Amino acid sequence: MKGLLKELCLINGVSGDETAVRESIIEKIKDVCEYRVDNLGSIICFKKGRRTPEKKLMICAHMDEVGFIITYIRSDGTLSFGAVGGIDPSVIIGRQVMVKSSITGETIYGVVGTTAVHNLSKEQREKAPKTDSLYIDIGAADKAEAEKTVALGDNAYFVSEFTELGETKVKCKAIDDRAGCAMMIEMLHEELEYDTYFVFNVQEEIGLRGSTASAFAVAPDYAIVLEATTAADIDGASGAKRVCELGKGPVVSFMDRSTMYDKELYRLAFSIAAEENIPCQTKTMVAGGNDAGAIHVSGKGVRTIAVSVPCRYLHSPSCVIDMADLDDSLRLVRKLAKRITEI
Amino acid sequence: MDLKETIKVLAETAGPSGNEDAAAELALGMLKEYCPEAEIKNGNVIGRFGQFSDEKPSLVLDAHIDQIGMIVTYITDEGFIRMGNLGGIDRRLLPAQPVVIHGSRDIKGVICSVPPHLNKGDSEVLSFDNAAVDTGMSKVELEKIVSAGDSITFDVKCRDLMGSRITGGALDDRCGVAAILRALDMLKGQETAFNVTVIFSTQEELGERGAKIGAFEIDPDIAIAVDVSFAYANGENEESCGYLGKGPMVGISPSLSREISDKLISAAKASDIPYQIEVMSGMTSTNADRYSVNRCGAKTCTVSIPLRNMHTPVEVIDTADVELTAQLIAEYIKEG
Repeated sequence: MKGLLKELCLINGVSGDETAVRESIIEKIKDVCEYRVDNLGSIICFKKGRRTPEKKLMICAHMDEVGFIITYIRSDGTLSFGAVGGIDPSVIIGRQVMVKSSITGETIYGVVGTTAVHNLSKEQREKAPKTDSLYIDIGAADKAEAEKTVALGDNAYFVSEFTELGETKVKCKAIDDRAGCAMMIEMLHEELEYDTYFVFNVQEEIGLRGSTASAFAVAPDYAIVLEATTAADIDGASGAKRVCELGKGPVVSFMDRSTMYDKELYRLAFSIAAEENIPCQTKTMVAGGNDAGAIHVSGKGVRTIAVSVPCRYLHSPSCVIDMADLDDSLRLVRKLAKRITEI
Repeated sequence: MDLKETIKVLAETAGPSGNEDAAAELALGMLKEYCPEAEIKNGNVIGRFGQFSDEKPSLVLDAHIDQIGMIVTYITDEGFIRMGNLGGIDRRLLPAQPVVIHGSRDIKGVICSVPPHLNKGDSEVLSFDNAAVDTGMSKVELEKIVSAGDSITFDVKCRDLMGSRITGGALDDRCGVAAILRALDMLKGQETAFNVTVIFSTQEELGERGAKIGAFEIDPDIAIAVDVSFAYANGENEESCGYLGKGPMVGISPSLSREISDKLISAAKASDIPYQIEVMSGMTSTNADRYSVNRCGAKTCTVSIPLRNMHTPVEVIDTADVELTAQLIAEYIKEG
């Protein structure tokens, strides 16, 4: 799955501009299922299993990643931008970005610069930057030169390489949620016991927009959301503040900021994990949220569970996960999909 | 020589202060094309250019070979690397920054970023006391590769921006090294007004230490420090900056030789080379500060390449400025 994850993560697809990700996924799944693209751009796939269940199951992940949108071109040729999705300005300042030009169709490099540290006051050095004080410099001499290449509304992305860290960990941008997309692509290529809907959603990062529409369209009885979630098992963090940890298996939450998860499904996940010897953990803080927030209150209500890969430095150009957790998440989801349908 | 490629390969080769070997060896190889006897002496790359004669005054062309970075101080039980800074680093941009640790082999890592739920209110700026590198390895695995005292650099590639501008991580001062190499390329086989010695000096970012011993070693009459200076950009004070693309910045300062500043300006005017004036009111915070008071003193001046985002992984220069800097140096050395 590492090769697939790398390929997906290196594609640029900020919320609202998921086209390249969608095209890549369709290319991979078009021969193994029925699919359609809805009005917002989400891919709704249906794959026949050996049997047709009484209740409808939907598995989903989101295609979009956090990034930037160009809002203004300044007289000096630098670009003002807005963050698309929640991004800490500390991981924007001092980075290379790519700007996708709607004028030339090409992608150009830029940087988010800053006042040289020599010229900052003592107070300024200790104050975290704010996004609205940052600009993208593409090397244009002035506004006229920049306007030849960049139009308002063009998107920009983090530049990040897919790097292996140690024996089993990897680093890249967009692991949130190409990890979930990779798991679904794997499952779509397998023989399934039951008919299943798989949805690749758009616009999760700006408020669960894609899943709101696609969940209504599919109208499932059960949903499994595949995600990447904040792990804080970093230097200096202890106890509950670690939230969840790399290498300890898929994360199944009882509650986050958007959802109170179905209790029976929550217990089912842990009992399957115990039976199958799959490591599994919960989150030790009520934090974050995902498409489950829109799905579980869709229509007359959907019994929903989320299975997440623990991920350090989420929403930064350097997301880090343990590939063992991704493999274990997929193992758990396969079993879960079968057992949920038999409830 | 392909100037842009030379700058890029120099800037992508690691040489943090005190651990300049890789960058110094690369620069030595490049310098030997013009100074066959060049060698590394106490860390500094030193080479004599052309024919020396007793009648000519001696001149040093200096650029520093080191770059800012970090140094490993400790490995925690959980396998995170603690570090100190080498030179002035903007700590606001450390979170989630990719790095390379130069152990017994190079390994990659990411500087830990504290997620919002662990911050109290406004996100705090990391201090070096609580910054750590995540390599994905355990302490036992790490200790086979990494030791205290190993250096760390930002993991960044040079990229082309629009026009002749580029971005990269160690353009300060590899573009100065490239400018000197380019000047020698222009001077090849020509008469010079000076006995020219090139020094690519170590540890500038820690207080111009390599230049101090290099200056003593060569004892020049005249020294030119080829370094970078602030180019105007958002957030900078326009009055104290140069501009990208408008040519080398010639220093004028009480600590520099006004005679040399004027000669450089005359050389620029005579050859129609665009230039900018950089006025400082005391010391220059460049290697010039060491050459000017070396032994019995030297007439010293700065020639600076304008650069944005100094000491960050996203430094920006205009390669046209590097070419113009080389032209200015070559003209001055030819004519005196």
